[in-house]
Amino acid sequence: MIKLNPLTQKKLRRFRSIKRGYWSFVILLLLYVFSLAGELFVNKRALLVSYQGTLYFPTYGEQMSGKEFGLDYDYEVDYRSLQKKFQREKLGDWVIMPIVPFDPYEMDYANEESTGFSPPSWKAGHFCGTDKTERDVFARLLYGFRIAMTFSLGYLFLTYLIAIVAGSVMGYFGGKTDMVGLRLVEIWANVPFLYMVIILVSVMPGWWGVGWQVSSLLFIMVLFSWTGMTYYIRAAVYKEKARDYVSAAKVIGAGPSRVIFRHLLPNVISTLVTFAPFTIAAAISSITALDFLGYGLPPPTPSWGELLKQAVGNLKTAPWIVISTVSALVLTLTLVTFVGEAVREAFDPKKFSTYE
Amino acid sequence: MNNMKKIKSFISPLIGCITLFFLGCEDPKLKQPRETKSDQSERNSTNSDKVDLAFTRELAREFAREFVQEFAKQINYKSFTFDANQSTGASNNSVLKTGLVDANGKPNPLLSHCSEDVLEFYQKNADCFSILSPEKIPNDLEWQDGSKEKEFSSPKAKRGGIFHAYMRDFPRTLRTIGPDANGGFRSYLLDNNVIGLTHAHPNSDGYYPGTANEWAVGNDGRTVYFRLDPSAQFSDGKPVRASDYFFFFYFMRSKHIQAPWYNDFYGKDKFQKVTLYDEQTLSVRFYKAKPDVVERVSIRPKPEHFYSELGGEYLTKYQWDPEPTTGAYVALPENVDKGKSVTLVRQDDWWANDKRFFRNRFNPDQIKVSVIRDNDKAFEIFLKGQIDAFGLAKTEFWYEKLANDHPLVKNGYLTKVTFFNQAPPPSYALRINSQKAPLDNLDIRLGFHHAMNFDLVLERIFRGDFVRMNTVADGFGERSHPNLKARRFSVDKAVESFAKAGYSKRGKDGILINGRGEKLSIEIMTGYKHFEDVLVVLKEEAKKAGLEIKLKVLEQTSAWKMANEKNHQVIFSAFGTFVELFPRFWEPFHSDNAYQEKGDLKYQENGKLKSGLTTKTSTNNFTQTAVRELDHLINQYREEEDLGQITKMAHRLSKMIHDHAVWVPAWKKPWLRVGHWSWLQFPDDWGPKESTDYEEFQVFWIDTEEKKKILGAMEKEEAVSTHPSVREYKKYMTK
Repeated sequence: MIKLNPLTQKKLRRFRSIKRGYWSFVILLLLYVFSLAGELFVNKRALLVSYQGTLYFPTYGEQMSGKEFGLDYDYEVDYRSLQKKFQREKLGDWVIMPIVPFDPYEMDYANEESTGFSPPSWKAGHFCGTDKTERDVFARLLYGFRIAMTFSLGYLFLTYLIAIVAGSVMGYFGGKTDMVGLRLVEIWANVPFLYMVIILVSVMPGWWGVGWQVSSLLFIMVLFSWTGMTYYIRAAVYKEKARDYVSAAKVIGAGPSRVIFRHLLPNVISTLVTFAPFTIAAAISSITALDFLGYGLPPPTPSWGELLKQAVGNLKTAPWIVISTVSALVLTLTLVTFVGEAVREAFDPKKFSTYE
Repeated sequence: MNNMKKIKSFISPLIGCITLFFLGCEDPKLKQPRETKSDQSERNSTNSDKVDLAFTRELAREFAREFVQEFAKQINYKSFTFDANQSTGASNNSVLKTGLVDANGKPNPLLSHCSEDVLEFYQKNADCFSILSPEKIPNDLEWQDGSKEKEFSSPKAKRGGIFHAYMRDFPRTLRTIGPDANGGFRSYLLDNNVIGLTHAHPNSDGYYPGTANEWAVGNDGRTVYFRLDPSAQFSDGKPVRASDYFFFFYFMRSKHIQAPWYNDFYGKDKFQKVTLYDEQTLSVRFYKAKPDVVERVSIRPKPEHFYSELGGEYLTKYQWDPEPTTGAYVALPENVDKGKSVTLVRQDDWWANDKRFFRNRFNPDQIKVSVIRDNDKAFEIFLKGQIDAFGLAKTEFWYEKLANDHPLVKNGYLTKVTFFNQAPPPSYALRINSQKAPLDNLDIRLGFHHAMNFDLVLERIFRGDFVRMNTVADGFGERSHPNLKARRFSVDKAVESFAKAGYSKRGKDGILINGRGEKLSIEIMTGYKHFEDVLVVLKEEAKKAGLEIKLKVLEQTSAWKMANEKNHQVIFSAFGTFVELFPRFWEPFHSDNAYQEKGDLKYQENGKLKSGLTTKTSTNNFTQTAVRELDHLINQYREEEDLGQITKMAHRLSKMIHDHAVWVPAWKKPWLRVGHWSWLQFPDDWGPKESTDYEEFQVFWIDTEEKKKILGAMEKEEAVSTHPSVREYKKYMTK
C-alpha cells in the first residue's frame, strides 16, 4: 500500500472541510451503493415469499419457475400476480415485493389498456412512468446509473493505469525514451476517438454476452483515450525526479520501479486526483452519447442514452421520460463536478506556498 | 562552380515547366469549358457534339480500313478483300430478311432517321429486331382496347393549383436510369408519370391503353401485338414513333447507361424479338407465354430524337437534362433549384388530356417537391400547411401526434384517411438461416416459431391496427394460400419442440440447456433501429419458452451486408414487393441462391445436402433454404404458363416453405393511412384498390376555392366542419 505523504493527508483533510464537495461525494457514494444493491429495492422478483410454510428468498440466485409455487407454467414466476393470488386465497401465504416491483427489462403489459408510455403513477408503482414498451423508467434509470458509474470507474482505473505507466516511464528515463514515447503518444492521440469506437463496436461479434460487450466497449474507449493523462504524469515525474529524495533513493540502490512507484508516485498523485472527477463526468457523458447514437451498449441493456433517445422522439407524448432522465443526468454530473471542484481546491499547491 | 552547374541544370527544366504552364492557360482547349446558362447555346453545343461524333467515327473507320488493308498486305493474306458492308458481322442475307435495310444497304423508311450507331446495333442483333410488311400481321388476332374496364378517376376533379410534396434528399440526377437514378424522386419522373404501351388496371386484372390503342396476344401466347395511338407525343411536341420502341432496347441494352440490372432485365433472352410492321403497329415476343405477358412487354417509348445515340458521355450529359416524356408532368432544368426543390409542370396541351383513362387525373398544374431531410420536421411543416399530404402509417403519428382531437382535425382543416388497399405488403419477417447451428435442426426452428410472440407485438405496439402475415406470399389474391396460418405463440409447443431437439432442462436463469450444458441462445440481427421495441418484446417473451434471444441492431447497410454474406442466425428484415400477378419463389428459396453448386449436385441420393458445400453470398436467399423437392417445384413454377397451374403451385410452395419453417411471418398493414389538408380532394372511393401511395395514380385534385375558404377560416379561428374529418374507406377491405 502506498503510504500517503503528510502533504497529501493534509490535502485530504482540507477536502473534508469543503462542505459542498464533501457532501456531494457522500451522496454520490450512497447513490452508487444504492444502485449496487438495486435488486433489493427495484426488482420484479420478490424479497421474501412464504409458501406453504417455507420461506423463499428469490432476489439473488436461481430463477424459480411457476410450478414451484403451484402455478401451471414452467417459466419464471410472476411475483406480482402471485402476491395478488395469495391475498385472494387467504391461505396464510404471502409475498413481500420491493418498493418498485419492476425490473428494467420486463414489459408491464398487465394493464389491459396500456400501449406504451404510461404516465407516472403511484398506484401502478411506476414512479417515473414507463417507456414505449411499458418498461419502468425508474428501474431503467437506476440500473442505467449502476452501469454508467461502474463503467466510468473502470474507465478511470484503466486509463490512469496506462497513463501512469507510460507517463512515468517517459518522465523518469527521459532522453530518447521520452522522445520516441512522446511522439508515439502524439500519433495515437490523433486517432479520431468517436469514429474508432463506432467502427469497432459495429464489428463486435454478437454471440458475446452483454458482459463481454460492455467490457470490450470499455477497453475500446480506454484504448483511445488514455493519452490525455500521460502528458501530466510525465511533466509531474520530470519535476519530481530532480528532487533530492529521488537521488537519495537512487544512491541507496533502488531500481527504477521502486523509485517510480514507492517514491515518485505518492508525490505525483495529487495531479491525478484533481483530474479524476472530471474524467468520471466525461466517461458518463460519452457512454450516454454513444448510447444515444446507438453505438453503445447492446439493447435492451438499460442505459441513459437509450432513454434520452426515446425521450427526444416523444417529447410531447411522454414528457416524463425526458424530465426524469435529464434530471438524473444533471444531478449526477453536478455532484461529480462539485466533488471535482472541491478536490481541485483542496489539492491546489498555491494554498501551501504561503507560510502560516 | 559545380554547384552552379547543378543549379543551372535544375533551372532550365523549371523554366520550361513554367512556360508550359502559362501557355496551357492561354490555350482554350486546356481550360475548363465555361458553363453557359442560356438554353440556346446549350442546344448549339449539343448539335456541334453530334457533328463531331459523326466526323470522328468516319475518321476512325477510315483509319481502321487502311490499317486492316496494310496489315493484310504485311502478312501476305492475298485473298483478302475489304467489304465495307460486312462490318456488321451478320451476313448480308440474314440482315436483308429482317427488313432493316434494303438490298442497297439503305435503311428501311421506318428507320431512316436513325443514327449509324443505332442502325448498326439493330443489324448486329438482327435476330431481335425486324421490320415486316403489314400483311404479316396475323388475321386471327383478338384485339383488345380496355373499353370494358371502368375509369378510376373522378369526373368531379378540377385542374389547377400547386401540389406541395417533400423528399428526404435531393435527387442526385434527373436521369431515370443509370447510377444514382434509382432514388425516391424517380417515381415523379417515371413511375407515376410516363405512359407506356399499356398499363395494368389498378382495380381489375385487365389493362387499359397507353401509347397503344389496342393490343392482342398472338397464338403462341408470348407475342403481343400493339396498335399505336397516332396522337401520342412527347413533351417537346415530337410524335412518338414506332422506332422509339426499337430504340428503347438499344437504350436499355447499352453499356453506356451503366445499369447492368436493366441490361439484363431487358436482355435478349427475355425480350426475344421486336417487330415493326408500319408506323402504327409493332409486336414484342417474350420468352415465355406468361399469363401477364401484356404487362411484361408493355414498354415505354424512348425519345430517339432526343438522344440520337448513346456514348460514353451519357451519364454526365443527361445528369440534369431530363428526357422528353409521354407523361403529363415535365421537369425542366430551369425549375430545378439545386439542393432545395424540383418543380414539375403540367403540360396544358398534353396529348392524353381527354383519353378515357387519363382524363381527370394528373390534376395539379404544378408539383413542387422540396427537400426536407428530417421526417419529424416534415411533419411540423405539414401541420403548417406547406406540404399538402403526409403518410401517417406510424402509430404514434396516427394516435398521438395527429390525434383525432387535434385542433386541425377537429376543425376540419385536415383530413385523416384510412384506405384499405389490396397490394402485396412488404415482407416483414424473421428469416432463419437454416445453415447455422442450432437452427439447422427443424425442431429448433419450429420451437423458435412458437416462441415469437407477434400477437403481443401487434396488440400492444401496433395497437391492433396491423394484422399478422400468414404466408410467404400474402397479398397476391388467388395466388396466396387461402387458409395457411402463421404459427401462434405457444410456450408449451415451443418447449415441446425444443425438448425434441435435446434442450429439455431449464438452467439457472430459466433458459433451456441440452445434455452438453449448452444454452439455447439465438441472435436476431436487424438494420431497423425503429423496430428495436418490437424485438425487445419478442426477446422478453421468448424467455418464457426458455429461449435466449440476443439482439444486434446495426446500421441498415451493415446489417444488409452481414445478411448477404449469410453470417446471420436470424435476420429481421423486409423486401419491398410490387404489384405482380404471382409471387416469386426462386430468389428467396431456391437452393441455387444458397450454394455455389448448381442444381441437384448439392444433394445426396436420399435428398439430404452433401457436406462441404460452398455458400453463395449476395443473394436474397437469406434463409439458406436448400430442399430438393422445393427446388424442383420452383423450377416447374418458373416454366409454367397456365395461371391455374401457377396458382396451385404457389399454394403448394407456400405450404412447403411453411413446413420447412425458415420464415417467421411478422405483420402487414391492410391499409394506407394518410393525413392531408382538406383542400386536397379525392374520388368517392378515394383511390384504386392497388394504391400503395397517395400519389401513385394521381387521381386527387386541389380545390382552390376550398383552400381559400380553409385558410380564411384558420385566420379567423373558425371551424370549417362540425365534426373531426376522419374518414375510412373499406370498399376493398379483405378478411
